[in-house]
Amino acid sequence: MSVITLETVSRWYGNVVAVNGVSMTVRPGVTGLLGPNGAGKTTLIALMAGFLAPSAGTVTLDGVPIWRHTDAYRTIGLVPERELSFGYLTGRQFVRANAELHGLDAPGAATERALSIVDMTEPAARRIGTYSKGMRQRVKLASALVHDPGVLLLDEPFNGVDPRQRLHLMALLRQMGAEGRTVLFSSHILEEVEQVARQIEVVVSGRHAASGDFGQIRRLMTDRPVQYVVVTNDDRALASALIAEDAVVAVSLRRQGGVDVSVSDFGGFAVRLPRIARERGVRILELTPTDESLESVFSYLVER
Amino acid sequence: MNATILRLSAQALAGRRRGIVLMLIPGIVVLLAIVVSALTDDGQGYEAVANLGFTLALPIVALLAAAAVLGPEVDDGSIVYLLAKPVSRHSIAISKYAAAWGATIGLGALPLLVSGLVLEPSDPGRAFGWFAAGAVAGTAYSALFLALAALTRHAVVVGLLFALLWEGVLGNVLAGIRWVAIGAWGREVGAEISPLVGGAGTGLGYALIAAMVVTVGSVYFAGDRLRSFTLRGDE
Amino acid sequence: MTDPTSATPEGRSVIHDLGYRPYTGARLGEGSIARALAVTGFRNAFGLGRSGRSKVLPFVLLALNLFPAVIVGGVMVLIGLDELPISYAQYASTTQVILGIFVASQAPVLFSRDLRHGTISLYLARPLRASTYALARWAALLAATLVFLLLPIVLLYAVALLGELDVTEQTREAGVAVALAVLLALVLTGIAGLISSWSTRRGFAVVATIAVLLIGNGIVTAVQGISSEEGRSDVGEVAGLFSPYSLYRGLATAWADVDALTPPTSAGMEALYALVLVGLSAACLGGLVWRYRRVASA
Repeated sequence: MSVITLETVSRWYGNVVAVNGVSMTVRPGVTGLLGPNGAGKTTLIALMAGFLAPSAGTVTLDGVPIWRHTDAYRTIGLVPERELSFGYLTGRQFVRANAELHGLDAPGAATERALSIVDMTEPAARRIGTYSKGMRQRVKLASALVHDPGVLLLDEPFNGVDPRQRLHLMALLRQMGAEGRTVLFSSHILEEVEQVARQIEVVVSGRHAASGDFGQIRRLMTDRPVQYVVVTNDDRALASALIAEDAVVAVSLRRQGGVDVSVSDFGGFAVRLPRIARERGVRILELTPTDESLESVFSYLVER
Repeated sequence: MNATILRLSAQALAGRRRGIVLMLIPGIVVLLAIVVSALTDDGQGYEAVANLGFTLALPIVALLAAAAVLGPEVDDGSIVYLLAKPVSRHSIAISKYAAAWGATIGLGALPLLVSGLVLEPSDPGRAFGWFAAGAVAGTAYSALFLALAALTRHAVVVGLLFALLWEGVLGNVLAGIRWVAIGAWGREVGAEISPLVGGAGTGLGYALIAAMVVTVGSVYFAGDRLRSFTLRGDE
Repeated sequence: MTDPTSATPEGRSVIHDLGYRPYTGARLGEGSIARALAVTGFRNAFGLGRSGRSKVLPFVLLALNLFPAVIVGGVMVLIGLDELPISYAQYASTTQVILGIFVASQAPVLFSRDLRHGTISLYLARPLRASTYALARWAALLAATLVFLLLPIVLLYAVALLGELDVTEQTREAGVAVALAVLLALVLTGIAGLISSWSTRRGFAVVATIAVLLIGNGIVTAVQGISSEEGRSDVGEVAGLFSPYSLYRGLATAWADVDALTPPTSAGMEALYALVLVGLSAACLGGLVWRYRRVASA
C-alpha cells in the first residue's frame, strides 16, 4: 500500500506558473485527475513520477521525496502521454526490455503476464511501428505493469483507444484499485473519470480546485442550484407548494410524471420538503438528485 | 553498464536508414583508398585519404552515433521509458556511451587502419598510428557529442560547429586551438606510434590526459543530465 | 433560411440560424497562398515568427558568416589596401562549412516538420497543389540561402567602394560572384531540401546533408590533390564534377579571381561544370516535387 503526498507543491517555468500551491494525497484505490487541457495535469503527473523537480513544496512517495530517487521506480509504474519512439522493436521486445531494466528474476514470464493483462499477446510479435494508437497505448500500459507496481500513474490513458478497449482498460484500472494499488490517471473527459473513479482531484489553471468524492464535492457547492426529481402521487400539488419556498429556484412538471426542482439551499430544502409533503398530504415516492454528474461539478468549477 | 540499454542502443544505431549512412561513410573512405592505391604508386595520396577519414569522416560518424543513441529519445521524451526504472542514470549514460563508442571505433577509426594498410602495405606502423589517433579522438568525440545530445536539442549542429568550424577551419588558422581540439590530441598520440601522422605538438601526456578528462567528464555530465531529466507536456 | 420564431413541428429537429455568417467575399488563389507560404518559410528559416530560441542558431551562423567580411572591412579602413584581401567569389569557398551547416540545419525547418507532424495535409486541404507547396518551400530556402551568400558580397562591395577601389572592376567581379552565388544557392537548396523531405528526423537530415556536402567535397579535394601531384590534372578536372563545392570552386577559378587545384581548363569543361550545377539543382527540385506529390496522393 503506497501513498503519494504533495505538500504545497508549486512548479513554474520562468514566469509561467504550471502548478500553484497544490496539496493532495493519493491513496490506494483509483483516483481521477481531472482538468481541462493545459490545466497542469501532465506537470502534476511528472512531479509524482519524479520527472520534474517541484519549484516549491515536496512530493513524496511513502514519505520519501521522489525527485532524483531512482529506487522509487520499483514501486511506480508510469504510462506517459508521450508516444513510443521505439518503432523498430516488437511489442514483446519492448515490454521485455522494461522487465529486464527492472531487474526481474523471470523477465520472460513477467512480459507474457503483462501482455496478457492488456490483451496484447497476439500482436506482440509485430513491430511497434505498425501498431495502431490503441495498441501502442496498451503496450505502454503493459510496460508499466510488468514489474507489478504498487503505484500506477497514467497520463491520458484512454486517448485514442477504441470504445471496446476503453471499457477493458477501465475495468482493468478498477480492478487494480480494488487490489489495493494506488492508481492515478488523468483525463479531461468527464465520462471517463466518472466510470472509473469516485475519488477525484480537479485541477484548473494549475490550481487544486476540488478534491474528494465527486458527489460530496457537488453537495459542497451550496451556492449553486442543485437539481432533483421528485416523484409523488400528486405532482401538481407538490409543485405549487414548492414554488412558494425560498430555497427553491425553479419547478417544472415532467411529462412522464415527476417534478423537476432546482434548489439553491440544499440544507433548507432537505428540512422543508418532508414538512410540505405532510402539510399537503402528498406522498413522496422517489427523490433523486439528477445532475450529480461530474459534468456539472466540472463545468461549474471551470466556469467560476 | 546495463546490458539491456546497450542492446537497445545498438538496435537504435543499426536500425533503419541511420545504419545505412553510418556504414556508407567508412565504406566511402575505404573505397577511395582502394581506388587511389590501384591507380597510383605505393603511398601516394596517403595524406589526403587519411585527412579525409580523420578530420571529416571520424567526427561525423561519432556525431551520428552519439546523436542516434540519445538524441531522438531525449527529443521526443520517450527516454522516460528507460528512466522510469530503478537503474542508475550514470549506468544508462555509460551503456549508451559504450554503444556510440563501439560504432565510432568500428566505423570511424577502423577504416583509417584499413585504408592505411591498403594504401601503404609496406608501412603498417603508419596505419596503426592513424588508427591510434582515430581511436583516441573517437573516444573523446563520442563522449563529448553524447553530452551535447543530453544537453541540447541542437546537439548535432553544435557538434558540427565544434568539429568542423572550431577544430577544422579555425584550427588551421589559429595554432593555439590545438590545446582545445580533440583531433589534435588524437594526432599527438598517433604520432607517437608513427611520426608520419604528424603530431600537433601538445605533448603526449597532455593529449592523453586531456582526452581522458573530456571523455570521463562528458559521460559523467550526460549521466547527471539524465538524473535531472524533466518530462514536459505537449502544451 | 429557417425562421427561428416559427414553431417547430413535433418531433422535427432544427438548427436555428443564430446569425453566423460564412465568408462570402473574394478568395485569393493558389498564387497568393504560395507567396504567403514562401514568405513565411523565408522568415522561419531565420527563426522569425518562431520562438526566441529558434532565432539563436540562424543568427549565430549568419554572424559567423559575416565575421570575416567585417574583419576585411576593418583591415581596409585601417591599412588602406589597394585591393580586397579576399575576392568576392572566394568568400563562399572560405566559409563553406558555415554555409553548409546553415543550409543543413534550416532545411529541415522548412521541409521535415510538416511531413513529420502530418500538418502537410492541412496545407493541401487548401487550393494548393503538392507541387506548388514544394516549390514555395524551395523558394523560401533558396531566398534564405541567397541572403546568406549575398550579404558578405554586398558588405565587401560596400567596403571596396568606400575604399575608392576601381568601381568598374569591383562591379564586374562582384557581379560574377553574385551569379556564382546564385548557382551555388540553387544546388545547396536542392540537395538539403531533398534530404530533409526524405528523412523527417531533424538531426539525421542535418548530418546527412553535411555528409553529402562536406565529405563529398573532401573526397573530391583528396582526388584533386593526388591527381595534381601525379601530374594528371585532367582526372582532377573530371572529379570536380562530383560535389557542389568543387563545382563552385572550379567555376569560380575559371570566371573569377580564385585559385583552386585542377580547375576546368577548356571552355567545354567550364560549360559542363555549369551544366552539372544547373542540372543537379533541377534534378533535386524535380525530386522534391515528386516526393510531395507522392505524399499528397498517399
